Parts: sequence; structure tokens; C-alpha cells
Amino acid sequence: MERLQQTTVVTIVLASCLVTAAIAESRKEYRFNVGPNSNISVDTQYGAISVKPGTSSQVVVTAISQSDKTEVDNQQSGNRIEIASHLLSGADQQSGRVDYELLIPSDATLSLRSSTGPLSAEGLQGDLTFEGTDAAVNVRNVNNGHVHVRTMRGPITLTDVRNGHIELSSISGALTLKSVTGPFVRATSGSGRIFYDGDFGSGGDYKLSTHTGDIEAVVPADTSAGFSAHSLLGKVHNELDLMPQHQRYPSEEGRSFFGSKGKASSKVVLHSFSGKIRLKQR
Amino acid sequence: MNCSDVDRILPEIIDSKARDGAPINDLDFEFQAHLRNCLHCSELVSDLKLIASEARQLSDAEEPSPNVWLRIAAELRSEGLIREPELVSRPVMVRAQRGLWKAFWLAPVAVAILAAGSYFLTHRTTPPAMQKSAKSVDPEPQIQVAEQPAAPPTSTPAAQKSTTPSRNQTPHVRALQAPPDDSEQAKLSAPPATDDQRFLSEVSSRAPTMRATYENELRAVNREIQETREYLRRYPEDMDARQHLLEVYQQKAMLYQIALDRIQ
Repeated sequence: MERLQQTTVVTIVLASCLVTAAIAESRKEYRFNVGPNSNISVDTQYGAISVKPGTSSQVVVTAISQSDKTEVDNQQSGNRIEIASHLLSGADQQSGRVDYELLIPSDATLSLRSSTGPLSAEGLQGDLTFEGTDAAVNVRNVNNGHVHVRTMRGPITLTDVRNGHIELSSISGALTLKSVTGPFVRATSGSGRIFYDGDFGSGGDYKLSTHTGDIEAVVPADTSAGFSAHSLLGKVHNELDLMPQHQRYPSEEGRSFFGSKGKASSKVVLHSFSGKIRLKQR
Repeated sequence: MNCSDVDRILPEIIDSKARDGAPINDLDFEFQAHLRNCLHCSELVSDLKLIASEARQLSDAEEPSPNVWLRIAAELRSEGLIREPELVSRPVMVRAQRGLWKAFWLAPVAVAILAAGSYFLTHRTTPPAMQKSAKSVDPEPQIQVAEQPAAPPTSTPAAQKSTTPSRNQTPHVRALQAPPDDSEQAKLSAPPATDDQRFLSEVSSRAPTMRATYENELRAVNREIQETREYLRRYPEDMDARQHLLEVYQQKAMLYQIALDRIQ
């Protein structure tokens, strides 16, 4: 009997908390009609932004505020839409949080900014620009667009990004690229680790670079790429059977290796100041 | 004082004269001196004084008594046509344009950081003699093995071997194993430079909770710059290292840029 009472009390308290949270949280929906190749920008100081493809002629933005200490500004100028939340007096990281869920045309150009994140986008084909301080950034199933991401500490993960012009940069965040290909791929992190899993496509120019972070690339056996790996003060390790290729600089045992696999249709540079570099076969 | 100076301060002078008729400061004397020598400005000032005087008289003549306005307001209020303003407090925006503008000094600093990196990349700062010695690949006398940096001095042959680099070690290996001397260590852990201090103080004033985060990241980037520069001092011909230095400077510029964008 006593146990039943305790359970009842706990249930009531939990229900009260949920109701309070639900009351504090407010959802607002904004709809904008746009034409092809629209330009959408969302900027929130604290909060997550999630973007998925919707209809080709409408942008639907759902803003979820955690308190009344934030305001959401929205503006449409032709095909350009700007959404921004600003903090009111007394707002902190919790009460100032505004999360966004967007449904946008897949060909839209998108720019997302948040200090805390996470920022995520999937199924898009336009140019994407993400910026965050500690925000984790996740991009999935994106084709043909430019993907530019920069964070201070936030980790960046790209999965199934094809034919993209890709520039990832982080001061100390880890970078993960899975099945990422394109004519131009740059990934730079200071102390963060870089992990690449994929075949480096065809005809691409790849450079993965760190200062102290380790770099690991895992490739399938049928990869076609020319590899150049050099760690100024760290070690390199190659598990692939590479054909020697001419280099301007002599290979340094344990610190660098050069060679090609297949027809070497892509160029891959792995560079670190003192991090370890490892090239593995899947 | 020239004619353009007069144009600039004229409204202030006229307003001041209209209020109390007294010269406001030394500027007024220069102003008067210019008027004595410049017919154009003198006529302009005379016209403006006339207009100001006429306007004041016009205002005095045509302006109804304040009681008229009070009576009209009372009647409108009694008819319910006007209401007292509601005392609902409007939210105050934290983001202020003026504050945002103040932070724009970060942008040129970021550009300067990039420029410094580019300059370092394209100009050799190492004296020719040092470059020559770097090419000769013989820095062994200053080198110790890093694996046992804290090992006490010993006279055994094995211990001596452990503190001497092997012959097949490359210069880069030896550089890795050479611990920085005291001055290098001091540089590596040195506090941020003036711009960095200014940057951090700006972060402190705008986003105090982020100060520690930005400071840590800034120190990390500065350390990376110092390490790369130190490496380049030893191996100035290493193009990979030069390229890496540019990238590290770009990282620092990016840190400034993120702060510029995010702190409000």
C-alpha cells in the first residue's frame, strides 16, 4: 500500500514537470512561398536546427521556444528568407534556447548558425553553410552542392555526400566523413581526429589535415587514388599495396609515404604536424 | 578654420547662440575670425541667424497656450477617443547594433592574422646562415632523446647511447625528440599577445561564460603556431610546414571570425 502511494506521488510529480515543460515550450510555424533556388538562413544563439526536404515551392519553419525570453524574427525578401532568434533580457542558455525544424525545397541554398547546435540537414542538393561554436554538425545524403562547415569545438559528420565541393574546418572538433566524394574536399582540424571511410570517388582533390589530431582513412580494395601522406613529427602507417610514384620530396621512413592505387583518378593528401596518419584497407 | 569646417560646426554654433548667446569655446573664436575674412560664410551665417530669429518669434506668436492642449486632451479622454498608454513592459533586445559594431574590430584582426600567415609563408625569415645549417642536417649536438627526458644524467655507455640520436634517424625524427629549451618552452606557454588579450576582454564583456572556452582554444591555436614556427626555424625549406603554418593561421582567423559571429 505504501509503495502504491509512493508510485502515485512520483507519477504526479513527473506529470507536473511534463505539463510545466509543455506550457513553457511554445511552437510557432511559419510558411513562406518561394521559387526555385531559394536562399534560406537560420540563426539561433542556443538551440538545434534540423532541415529536411519538403515541397518545391514552400518553406515551413517550426520554431520551438523554451521560454518567453526569446523572440523569433522572420523576414522574406523575394526568394530569400531570414530566420533569427534573439535573446531578451535575462535569457540564458536554457531559457534562450530556440529549436528549429525546417522543411525546404531540396534545391535551396541553406545557411545555419548556432552556438550549441546540433545542426543537421539531409536529402538536400543546394549549397549548405553551417557554423557553430560547440554545435555538432551532421549532414547526410546530400548531392551536388557545396558544403561548408566550420566549428570551434563541435564535431562534424558527413555521411553519403556525393559530388560536393566540401570544406570542413574545426579548431578542435573531430571530423568524420563516410562515403563522401567530390571534386574538391578539404577537412582541417587542429586537435580533432579526422576519419574518412570511402573510396575517394573519381577525379577528386582531397586533403585531410590536422595539427595534433590523428588521421585515419579506410578505403575499399578497388579505390583509385594517388596518396601522399606526411606527418612532420608524427608517424604514418600504410596497409595498402601502393605503386610507387614520383614525388618532389623523398619519402621519410615512418613519417611519410607516397603511392598510387588503381588508376589514381583522385588525388589524396593526408597531412599532419604531429598526429598519426593511418591508411587502411576495408 | 576653412569654409568646410564652418559648414560642419555651424548648426552647433547657431544653436548655442540661439540658446544663451554666449560663445561656446575656443572654436567660436576661430569661427568668428573666419567670418571676418570670408564673405560667403559671413552672409550664410547672417541668413541663418535671421531665419532662426524669425522662427522663434513666429513660434511665440502662433503657439497656443499649453492649457488649450490639456483641455482638448481631457475632452478626448472623456469621450474614450484616447487612452492612457498601457504599462506593459516591452521586451528589451539584448542584441544591440552599437555593440555589434564595436566587435567589428575583430574582423580586421582576423584579416591581419591571415596576412601574417601569408607573409610568413612567402618570405623567409630565417637568416641565410641558419638556412645553410639546416640544409647541412647536423643539429645533433643540441639533441636529446625525448623518450627519457627526465632520466638523470648517467655515465654508463648504455645511458649515453640513449641520449644520443641514432645515425639513421632523420632530421625530423630528431626534431621530434629534441625537447624545446627554456626560452622555447616559455614561448610555447606564453600568454596571448595584445590583440588576443583585447579579443578575450571583448569576449569577457559580451559572453563571460564563453571566456574560458575561447581562451583555451586561442591558447591551443597559438601553441600550434609557435610549434610550427619553431619547426620552420629548424627546417626553413620544408614546404609542407610552410603550408601548415598558413593553415594554422587560418584556424586562428576562423576562431576570431566565429567569435565575431557568435558573441552578441
